[in-house]
Amino acid sequence: MAEKKQTGTVLVTGAGISGIKASLELADIGYKVLLTDSSPQIGGILAKLDHQFPTDHCGMCRILPMIGREYASQYCMRKGLFHENIEILPFTKLVKVEGDAGNYKIQLQKKARYIDTDKCNGLGKCIKVCPIEKHDEFNHGLTKRKAVYQPVPYSTPEMLLIDMDICTKCDECVKICPTNAINLNAEHEILEKEVHAIILASGVKLYNTKEFEDVKSYAVSKDVVSSLAFERIISGTGTYDNTNYNNKGIIKRPSDNKPAEKIAWIQCMGSRNKRQKRDYCSSICCMFALKEAVLAKEKAGKNVETTIFYMDMRTFGKDFYRYKEKAVNEHNVKLIRCRVQGVMLNPDKSLLIRYFDPKTNEFFTETYDMVVLSTGQIFKQDYEQIAKLFNFKLTSQGLIPTKEYNKIELNKPGVFICGSLMGLTDISEAVSSGIAAAGKASSLLSTLDVAVIEQKVISEPKTVERDLPLISVVLCKCSEKESKTNIDFNMLKKKLQTLNQVGEVNIIDTACNDNGKQELINLLEKSKCNRLLMGLCQPFIYRKSLKNLAKKAGFISSLIEIFDLASLIYKSVQTDETMPDINWTKQALNEIKARIENLKFKPALYVEPLEINQTVLVVGGGIAGMYSALALANKNINVHLIEKSDKLGGYAGNHIENTIEGLKPVSMGKDLQIKVFEHKNIIIHLNCEVTETKGSLGNFKSRITDNIKEKSTYLNHGAAILATGALKSETQEYEYKNSDKILTQNELKQGLETKEINIENAENIVMIQCVGSREISSGEIGKEKEKQGYCSRICCIGAIENALKIKEKNPDIRIFILYRDIMTYGFFEQYYTKARAQGIIFVNYTLNNKPEVEIIDDKPVVAFKEHVLNSQVKISCDFLILSTGIASETSNKQLGKIFNVPINEDGFFVEADSKWRPIEFQKTGFFLAGTAHSPMFLKDAILQAEAASQKAHACLCNETIYTAGTISKVHHSLCVQCQRCVDICPYNARTYDESLNKIIVDNAACQACGMCAVVCQNNASEIMGFSDKQIMAMIDMAL
Amino acid sequence: MSKSIKLSFKKGELNKELADFFKKMIEKNAIDALLAPMTQPNKGVMQTLVTKNSNIKAIDSIDPFAPVVPVNGAKIASSITAKPSNRKVAMILRSCEIRALVELVKLKQANLDDVLLIGIDCIGRYENLDFLKFQEQGETSESFIEKGVAGNTQNNDYDISKACKICEFPRPDNVDLRLCIIDTGSDALYIESLSLKGDKALEKAGIDLNDSVPASSSNTVKKLIKERINARDKAFEEYRESSNSFDDLEKRFAACINCYNCRVACPVCYCKECVFVTDTFRHNGDQYMAWADSFGTLKMPADTTFYHLTRMSHMSLFCVGCGQCTSACPNDIDLMPVFRTVANKTQDRFDYQAGRAFDEAQPLTIFDHDEFVEVTGQVK
Repeated sequence: MAEKKQTGTVLVTGAGISGIKASLELADIGYKVLLTDSSPQIGGILAKLDHQFPTDHCGMCRILPMIGREYASQYCMRKGLFHENIEILPFTKLVKVEGDAGNYKIQLQKKARYIDTDKCNGLGKCIKVCPIEKHDEFNHGLTKRKAVYQPVPYSTPEMLLIDMDICTKCDECVKICPTNAINLNAEHEILEKEVHAIILASGVKLYNTKEFEDVKSYAVSKDVVSSLAFERIISGTGTYDNTNYNNKGIIKRPSDNKPAEKIAWIQCMGSRNKRQKRDYCSSICCMFALKEAVLAKEKAGKNVETTIFYMDMRTFGKDFYRYKEKAVNEHNVKLIRCRVQGVMLNPDKSLLIRYFDPKTNEFFTETYDMVVLSTGQIFKQDYEQIAKLFNFKLTSQGLIPTKEYNKIELNKPGVFICGSLMGLTDISEAVSSGIAAAGKASSLLSTLDVAVIEQKVISEPKTVERDLPLISVVLCKCSEKESKTNIDFNMLKKKLQTLNQVGEVNIIDTACNDNGKQELINLLEKSKCNRLLMGLCQPFIYRKSLKNLAKKAGFISSLIEIFDLASLIYKSVQTDETMPDINWTKQALNEIKARIENLKFKPALYVEPLEINQTVLVVGGGIAGMYSALALANKNINVHLIEKSDKLGGYAGNHIENTIEGLKPVSMGKDLQIKVFEHKNIIIHLNCEVTETKGSLGNFKSRITDNIKEKSTYLNHGAAILATGALKSETQEYEYKNSDKILTQNELKQGLETKEINIENAENIVMIQCVGSREISSGEIGKEKEKQGYCSRICCIGAIENALKIKEKNPDIRIFILYRDIMTYGFFEQYYTKARAQGIIFVNYTLNNKPEVEIIDDKPVVAFKEHVLNSQVKISCDFLILSTGIASETSNKQLGKIFNVPINEDGFFVEADSKWRPIEFQKTGFFLAGTAHSPMFLKDAILQAEAASQKAHACLCNETIYTAGTISKVHHSLCVQCQRCVDICPYNARTYDESLNKIIVDNAACQACGMCAVVCQNNASEIMGFSDKQIMAMIDMAL
Repeated sequence: MSKSIKLSFKKGELNKELADFFKKMIEKNAIDALLAPMTQPNKGVMQTLVTKNSNIKAIDSIDPFAPVVPVNGAKIASSITAKPSNRKVAMILRSCEIRALVELVKLKQANLDDVLLIGIDCIGRYENLDFLKFQEQGETSESFIEKGVAGNTQNNDYDISKACKICEFPRPDNVDLRLCIIDTGSDALYIESLSLKGDKALEKAGIDLNDSVPASSSNTVKKLIKERINARDKAFEEYRESSNSFDDLEKRFAACINCYNCRVACPVCYCKECVFVTDTFRHNGDQYMAWADSFGTLKMPADTTFYHLTRMSHMSLFCVGCGQCTSACPNDIDLMPVFRTVANKTQDRFDYQAGRAFDEAQPLTIFDHDEFVEVTGQVK
């Protein structure tokens, strides 16, 4: 017999959003993941955030797998993560690494929690008796905690630990602990593991108001808080109070808990500060503040005044600008462009801000109840440690060095980074990079001789449906609580036994320990019943092992129900005088009877196999398209690469020689082209377009039309990546086309490169930013094509790049850049700083006061308002340069129809969720990458391409996948094809097939949300396992 | 300005003029078929389909203004058009039928691509048996309209249906052509075109649109609507008062025998097989026994109030208030008031009105993040 192959294993350090996403991706393919976090909990910064824009809801659970969802608990992600292939190690740090790619020997240090979380029942008796109190870090000191505490108040299971720094070892907790879970003398552990690849995702932190001297001076009272602390102030698990206020809550200001009705945000606290060596933009704070300002109004009423003091409102990401416009116009969030110099404390505790309003050119002083400092991202000290551990040097910016074109791949093979370790990232980038890093790791693992964990397919006998239901009821009375419970288990047993279709009732002591388990096994093996109902404690922890146990005894997994009986027992124990007389036995009886009814009518559910065509259709042969094609081909997936023009490379790969980051897109494009042409797994279709697509995940069929040969062929594929790119934006504004002295940034750049444009003798150059960008058109879409409601992201940096180049050649030249907001986010800020240092003049203009251009004596003359002089200025310039930006590809609209995927108001494709599912479409099996998504830099496009190829690979890596048992079905005999279910399905899982006159369900896409069953009047749509009959019987019994 | 033609008629010859008009439409190939209320050989008036290939002379028995609606015509329109026949058919329907049809189109149970939809002014209808008496008394559509416009619809011991008395849609919208007769003079009717389809059909039939509906007519319709709305709101108040508890509802439905006639008569109950005849409601004996155990007694047939409430929850958003449910009940349960009153509230809550517009999406088919925040609570 051949030796059993080792399971491919990856270490992911850092259980923030990107680490979790990377882990889930790898687990999805079937690799084993060790997920560590140096803190005692998982979730990173996001554990503290209840709301994220643009939805202003939480949505973290959307990163859970959509296919194979039954392998991960579908559960609130901020509470916990459960996946069969992920081992979570909180409070654990990587301390030693040896070996090389594909074979790393690592040492992990697991810090002592002093509480055995396997034994702890989470009821928190120890917390009550602990005499030591401390300000709670989770709520930024707004609330208090004990020495023994739960770091995230809603984590499940309750992951308690003891803070040894303040513990006095009084032993009170040890004495009261009913499960002997506490050991105050526990020691840190060292774990030795072998892994094949390592993903570093240890992230950043947001600094607090006391961290830096330049920020500290603003923090004049408790009511000046950091943006993260404000999140806790508006959170129900923080200090937000929405009880007893007629459904309207109050935002309590920390000093005296009085409602804060006037709140100011001050941006760029601690960042964009060259003097303090923090010459970068934290990138996330503008949107963070806008969201908080909107939320403040939603939480505490429209009358709450919110003002944001900012330098540049950096709304550079997809849909950011529209969110800002909405915040200002619909929610009345006030924006004032002013660098506030300080906050003063009034005797009545209110806070005073003096500011200059550029709109009126006047100084004002205003008082506020609270001030939020937008404190940004800061790199953790452990960057140095990482560098030491892996033996490399940090870059001059203090970052981890990566490969030239790649934000995630280190020069050290087998080690990848994602999330904020790459620099300053927001949620969607963190998620994308997590996926991409997983993709890279899986690429490596696919070249090694390692095994994947096979999907466990249970082939169960289908005979049970014909048998009359006979239910075995097993109740654990939890010996520990038994003495005090007010539930009479003997009575319960007697009553349950009389029920029709209940075969047997067994009461056991402690199902959680070994004795109990053995008792259970004996019971189940003897049982003649075909359905099983178990009432226990913490079903979340035990569900998997108990189900396995019952399955071994011959029960069918969908006919095993496990419910939480312990909470009821616990409630009954707690009964005191203040509570009305409750017959707890009757309460328990009704609950169990209802569950019996449900189980009685429940059908056995079987997973359906789905054959997968392991081919991907990549639409668009630009750099993103070629990159994804190659990444997939290297993982042995067949690729059809469709390009509508006669050559590969797209815009960047054919026209952009150099970028400000030092990339060379043209040479990269050429390199990719050669690889793509030579790869045996890639078939290239030039001059071709997709004209029709049908099918569902694993089995799509698309018609490809060759525009030259005027011939169509059909291709079968299992998934598709849309990387159709974008266009240069065109403009009619500012006399463009009426003078050869008026150019776009692109034309200038090319002219400088080819030396066709001579700037040696030029005196004045004016650049106008946002030409056609960030103006929301009032007309119909498409009619006013030059107006775009988004930031093109690349133009500010592009303008500065060109300006710096010109300055280099001609230091005496005067360059004016007329801008609305300079979008040099992240480390691009350094170029902005440099440009100002070199004397490039930046002048702000607003939409109401746009610059005016006329041509006098063959020279463009630009008139604009100069705000320092507060006067109108006219400049006759040698060249006027217009930053025209990026426009969406006009064919997107057509493609959207063909692929049945949506496009937004600006003509870009709409991903499933802008934060949590940025790479995939709502339609299962379709992914997107590059500027088809939104304007972005090349490195970001490559990151998305890597991520899209990972997502496609994860879908197609198996020849057969098994869809979930709980999915929706159509009873065709009842269906009238009204198609309401098709319209409402949020997952595009339903289609109407005209030729069959039937509603078709895509089993892989269906998430069993039940919307189809809601709109269907006569149950022609049904979620298997949730029939009306079951539910009505349940309700009937519970009443 | 509205585009119309005037169709003058001598006393007693309204239907003859209309018959000539529609025969001409068929002869000139403006339409291939006509569905219209026609007098039946024995008694009564029923929707009747006449095609180009059948006996066109049959159109002579046309009587679209007859004050009776044996079946809500939306259901008939649905059966003819759900699967297209590819033949141009003109359908003469009244407001309640058209509004129900609008809903059925949205539910993909009817397709108007090949339909020339013709609406008529309607003051109300008699119950089917009352209409027979009406005919026996020698009354005609012409006499009904004349008296009806003046508000005299009562005839001996019967009157137009309760639903009609509170109907605020005497003149239908969303049609291609409209036959206007309310206050247009006793010797004339106006055929008004409201769509391109209508224009084209008339053009093909060689009919010039050279007139417009007199202002007096529109004013009278407006006045009528106002009166009806007042009556409606008063009725709503009354109905709410009389059915505002579960006990009152039980009382109202007490005589129900689960014959499901109301469901069959309802134009917007569009399921092929109602959930109440599926397995979901086929209970076992022990289930009935268990209910009797826990409630003390069990009235049979069971599930009657539950049936009505379920049906209400299924169709109240599409209910057009035609009153066919009341007309269909063999035990004289007055269902219309309950359904109409509830529908009024549910539709209001979604800012929706059944039958108002083709392009108004039905509630619950679109996902709206900020819908009913006051009910769902501040999820944020």
